[in-house]
Amino acid sequence: MTTPVLSVENLSVDYEVGAGVFHAVSDISLVIPPGRVVGIVGETGCGKSTLAQAIPRLLPEPPARIRSGKVIFQGTDLVPVPKAKLPMVRGTGIGMIFQEPLNSLNPAFRIYDQIAEAVQMRHWREDGILPSFHPGPAPFDYSRRPITMPSTADVLSRPVMPGTAKDVMAARRVRTRTDLRDEVLDYLRLVRINDPETILSLYPHELSGGMRQRIMIAMALSAKPALLIADEPTSALDVTIQAQVLTLMKELIDEVSASILYISHDLGVVAETADDLGVMYAGRLVEFGPVAEIFQTPRHPYTKSLLRSIPTRYKSDWPMPTIPGSVPNLSQLPAGCRFHPRCSLARPVCTQEPPPALRVIETTVGATTSHHAACHYAEEVPGLP
Amino acid sequence: MGRNLEDLLIFIGKRFLQLLPVLFGIILLMFLVTHVFPLNPCPRWYPKASQQVLANCEAQFSQPVLTQFWTYFTKLLAGNWGASQFGQPVYPVITERFPATLELVLASMFLMIFIGIPLGVIGAQYAGRWADHLVRVLYLSGWSIPTYVGAIVAAVFLAPVVGLPAGHEYSTTSPPFAQVTHMSVVDAILAGNFPYTVDALEHLILPAGVLAFIEMGNATRMTRSAMLEVMPLEYVKSARMKGLSNFIVMYKHALRNALITATTVLGVTAGGLLAGTVVIEEVFSWPGIGAYAFAALGGGGEPNFDGAIAVVIVFALGVVIANLIADILYGVLDPRVDWR
Ligand SMILES: Nc1ncnc2c1ncn2[C@@H]1O[C@H](COP(=O)(O)OP(=O)(O)O)[C@@H](O)[C@H]1O
Ligand code: SF4
Ligand SMILES: [Mg+2]
Repeated sequence: MTTPVLSVENLSVDYEVGAGVFHAVSDISLVIPPGRVVGIVGETGCGKSTLAQAIPRLLPEPPARIRSGKVIFQGTDLVPVPKAKLPMVRGTGIGMIFQEPLNSLNPAFRIYDQIAEAVQMRHWREDGILPSFHPGPAPFDYSRRPITMPSTADVLSRPVMPGTAKDVMAARRVRTRTDLRDEVLDYLRLVRINDPETILSLYPHELSGGMRQRIMIAMALSAKPALLIADEPTSALDVTIQAQVLTLMKELIDEVSASILYISHDLGVVAETADDLGVMYAGRLVEFGPVAEIFQTPRHPYTKSLLRSIPTRYKSDWPMPTIPGSVPNLSQLPAGCRFHPRCSLARPVCTQEPPPALRVIETTVGATTSHHAACHYAEEVPGLP
Repeated sequence: MGRNLEDLLIFIGKRFLQLLPVLFGIILLMFLVTHVFPLNPCPRWYPKASQQVLANCEAQFSQPVLTQFWTYFTKLLAGNWGASQFGQPVYPVITERFPATLELVLASMFLMIFIGIPLGVIGAQYAGRWADHLVRVLYLSGWSIPTYVGAIVAAVFLAPVVGLPAGHEYSTTSPPFAQVTHMSVVDAILAGNFPYTVDALEHLILPAGVLAFIEMGNATRMTRSAMLEVMPLEYVKSARMKGLSNFIVMYKHALRNALITATTVLGVTAGGLLAGTVVIEEVFSWPGIGAYAFAALGGGGEPNFDGAIAVVIVFALGVVIANLIADILYGVLDPRVDWR
């Protein structure tokens, strides 16, 4: 049994704004074992990005506030970590790909400088010039090497300049400018950019959305993160480009076999990429389990209706089922189960008693993840039409 | 897309050409405001002048307006900017005094950039919290204090407390080196005279500081609002996700973009700074054109009409050039601007 790369325990995040308190993430628990891809699906506005950004503590605090819970990354809870120490966790620790490729690259800097900065940061950490979590193995080797993760508590308390100044200088001398450039080119080739030399000196606005997203992916991978969070990496792109980037993501996931949190509002996309699947509804994780199992026997009425709404090639004469009702306002959530106004299974108890939050105790890479659903009547869901 | 050196020269050249009609317009306006009167202005312009001078003046005013303007314009271009009431030509005085004003304005701009902009970043970073309010109180107090009050408070009360001189460029009236540029610090550096460099800097701090304090609000406020626009954008988050420190994220990634919009205040600020020199230079006995304008406007007795007009033209030129620089900076800072 391996220690999970990330385990989120009962995490709740609110946005406190003038209009009220928005419970964007409520009592979410999930585990990502090494080398596993965990997908999260949910409608727009259900709190997926909030969850993604709460993990590396990227949310603007305020208005966001982590009300309770733990985000245990490689053994250390990140929630109490002071802000000044968070840069150590990011980069080689946690990397992220954002939804909006138009804005996720800095418009004022050349592509080369932006990727080289990420590579340089990793070099400095590997050389011990910058304090960091211990750099994980190279992304290609996650599955092949036994992963020995140091305790992050040790790493966080490590002095800023380990080793003598002489060691540091020696390490620095090893890296030359051309090394850095070659490495940047390698990562651009990794994301299937054919002649990367030509784009090095370009600015983001000179590139298409798909190209920018590839560069964003290259940038995230070039830091060799132990955990990669992909927040809807294809959603904002044109449909054809979306397919290309999705293919790239799938290939990379196979090659890299890193621990990945893959977020999407599209069940089909997650089905193709993830090993485990979490379904979010109105800030809660309503179902969690292995992808194949959830697709076969969903245990939450919401998941069931989501699955029904995927258009199927073979049943094109099906009327597109829509879920009646609308997503609740996150500042005025219904009492009891948040899904009850729209649930065909709902009984009186559902309007009073919230179903217990699903709790993922432990999963291992070898064994299948256990299947959980936050519903009073989970057993009856397979019988739904 | 053109963004190589040649394109940049074309870009700057174009802006410069666009500036010429603006300058012409300003001079025309200045002329119309000061030279087109329904009544004969000569006795007021030259109250103690001889009969001969008055006759010349009146002969000039009896000509058609366009002819008058042409005469005025060609004289202006030839460096004949008129003379004071005592017959002292204006142009040489302006060229000798202008560098001192430029030095003062550049020093205040330096302070505004290295104090005002970081204050704006702090205000944005702690928006709505006490640090932000403190920054706001600071720049609003600068803004709301009348220039002469700020200058007098600094010169009379602050100067003895902090031990800084509150007047003139140097402690001695005639420093032992040539006044090549007429900028006190630059001249001292050129002469290789270290004690005088320090002395000149000490004399510069208070007037430049007061001027910067009064005008700093522009820079701080623009930086703050531009930062607030930039900070929620995803590239700031991607920079954070590289593991960069908060300082690098803020001052390299966010501020670099916020500055693109913040440069536009440069033009506005230049106007304020130049206007401020009139009072500041008078209070701090700074030998620039601001003090000259004060005297020319009758601050020291008789008004010097040609001198006042000359200062107005120089100030207008300064504002227009500052806007030109802001424009060019904008083009250079924003890679999305095509230089062609
Ligand atoms: N910066 C913010 N300030 C206030 N509320 C926010 C902010 N960002 C998100 N929210 C709220 O949190 C909810 C979840 O947003 P988000 O996590 O972006 O959802 P998703 O990624 O699933 O579309 C939204 O409904 C929105 O109301
Ligand atoms: S708890 Fe009740 S309302 Fe909620 S999903 Fe289950 S059956 Fe439906
Ligand atoms: Mg989102």
